[in-house]
Amino acid sequence: MSSKQSILNALKKVAVEPQALPTFDVAPRIDDVIAQFETNLNTVAGTLHKTGGVEALQAHIDELTAQGKQVISTTDGIKGNRAVPGTAHQLRDIDYAVIPGDLAVAENGAIWVNNKNLGHRVTPFICENLFLVIKADTVVANLHEAINQIGLEQGEFGVFIAGPSKTADIEQALVVGAHGACSLNVYLI
Amino acid sequence: MSTNHSSAIGSAVHAKKAEIFCRDEARVDWHSKALWMLREKRDRAAASLPEWEQLRQLGSELKLHTLTNLGHYLEEFEKNCLDNGILVHWAKDGVEHNQIVHKILAAKQVKKLVKSKSMLTEECHLNPYLESQGIEVIDTDLGERIIQLAGMPPSHIVVPAIHMKKEEVGDLFHEQLGTEKGASDPLYLTRAARAHLREQFLSADAAMTGVNMAIANKGAVVVCTNEGNADMGANLPKLQLHSMGIDKIVPDLDSAAVLLRTLARNATGQPITTYSSFYRGPQTDGEMHIIIVDNGRTEMLQDKILAESLKCIRCGGCLNTCPVYRRSGGYSYNYTIPGPIGIAVGAQNDDTNSIPWACTLCGSCSYVCPTKVPLDKIIHHHRRLKAQAGKLPYGKRSYMPLVGNFMASETMLNCSMSVARTALRVLPGSILKPFSGAWGKYRELPVAPSSSFETWFNKNRGK
Ligand code: SF4
Repeated sequence: MSSKQSILNALKKVAVEPQALPTFDVAPRIDDVIAQFETNLNTVAGTLHKTGGVEALQAHIDELTAQGKQVISTTDGIKGNRAVPGTAHQLRDIDYAVIPGDLAVAENGAIWVNNKNLGHRVTPFICENLFLVIKADTVVANLHEAINQIGLEQGEFGVFIAGPSKTADIEQALVVGAHGACSLNVYLI
Repeated sequence: MSTNHSSAIGSAVHAKKAEIFCRDEARVDWHSKALWMLREKRDRAAASLPEWEQLRQLGSELKLHTLTNLGHYLEEFEKNCLDNGILVHWAKDGVEHNQIVHKILAAKQVKKLVKSKSMLTEECHLNPYLESQGIEVIDTDLGERIIQLAGMPPSHIVVPAIHMKKEEVGDLFHEQLGTEKGASDPLYLTRAARAHLREQFLSADAAMTGVNMAIANKGAVVVCTNEGNADMGANLPKLQLHSMGIDKIVPDLDSAAVLLRTLARNATGQPITTYSSFYRGPQTDGEMHIIIVDNGRTEMLQDKILAESLKCIRCGGCLNTCPVYRRSGGYSYNYTIPGPIGIAVGAQNDDTNSIPWACTLCGSCSYVCPTKVPLDKIIHHHRRLKAQAGKLPYGKRSYMPLVGNFMASETMLNCSMSVARTALRVLPGSILKPFSGAWGKYRELPVAPSSSFETWFNKNRGK
């Protein structure tokens, strides 16, 4: 018998009482979702920029490229100085990546990013610093609302990103910048 | 720098380590405080959500529902994975799991594998197996990398190097990674590890991760990390592998959302981990494999009480709150997973027959658990199973006439937790002490709370 079959056979009878799948009816906190989002984004070590829109972001990126920084953008209307390379490994020297987020979650500061907007999947992780761009009207109250709106088609990859990478594995001391991006700035447009 | 987990987890070594750990009172205090800090952060995060108790209830119910329909959901999951271009493998035990992994890697001539944290691969002892087959395995979670370089197994399921001081990490990195001698600043050491591991990610032939949730109706796996190591791995080499226990299945995205809301809050007090990644297919031109593992889980499902331990989402909350774990360290449990949940899922295979007694039945673990795993009830049940099988702990036999009867008596084992707690309070320490193992040897037993946290909470704060 295959292992699959023997596992499935063993599962035909279990000692747990049958139990229906519960209904998920958790009340959302709907007061000022953008303020909630900002507070939680700060908690997870990210920074929100609410004013200036696309123009201010582009001006900032122009400064960075003038300093010789390597900037890749997959966001409409924002230009960096690097194109999506042939292989993911060639992103190893990217200083800044500018990526559009599909939606943001007020209760935890997370932003959903889908691989359609990434070039290579590794882009938001391998870049030294990450800029995420979100539309103000895509901020939802909680994860229950967010999860029903995320796009995750067959074969795709998507990720909730809440802040820059971090660790506290050495004596519980929080260090921002582990293996993924070392900083996260979020631009509301 | 190969590691040999199997030698380090021998029970003799563990007992000795626990003893050494406990002799150093200052270290015990430091360890206990570090964990209590996590517990306090968790409390603040839980208190910030008015719906916390509702989420725990939903988490428990959705997990129980899934466990009672596990065959159905596993088949649905496999079918959807196949539709997404994901290859699915089934392993009845750790040995078969390791062989499957090796076969996948060998087919692609993989020389170097980057791995992110997975308690399941620890459970299966994958690393030593692959190393014996000539494959280099790099653990990439910082804590995991530290203990790998030190040649130790994890001492905690979320913060695996919690038992090590920064000076010790500094010495280790100086020896192995060439950092400055005497440097112990966590920022400096973390940056050094980042640079070292970046090279590993970029030169790896394959990546492997554990799975936090597997979504049946999508055929997707969710992987949560703060460091980004799972995603740096899975999105660079073209070959990605994910190992999961059969208990990781959830029916749908709504269910995953409930667990994602409590997981990080209960683990470290964060509102969510930095990255919650949903893999629903391989990279372009890539290959994605999922290995579904039983390794004793179907057997646990045949026991009504033990089955509930499979609701666990491995947040580590019960370790952080446990008075015994905090003061004895992760190496005293004779099992890969320490703490209350380690006893719950590991006691059957504990040849020293002692770990069910590394517990005061205070109930704090059950009270914090985000899926309401009744840990104290399960641990108590393990004592009964051991007593019924005539397997009272080694070294505890001399107390048999008194304690053996006491522990195995129907009244004692069938009584409510609160009676057990009373016994802990009224019986002289000399009788109960042998049951406390290494953690009780050098100090007095913890005072049993007069009521469980939950009763206390309902009485004092509830409603
Ligand atoms: S038993 Fe509960 S508290 Fe303990 S690790 Fe599992 S989910 Fe967390």
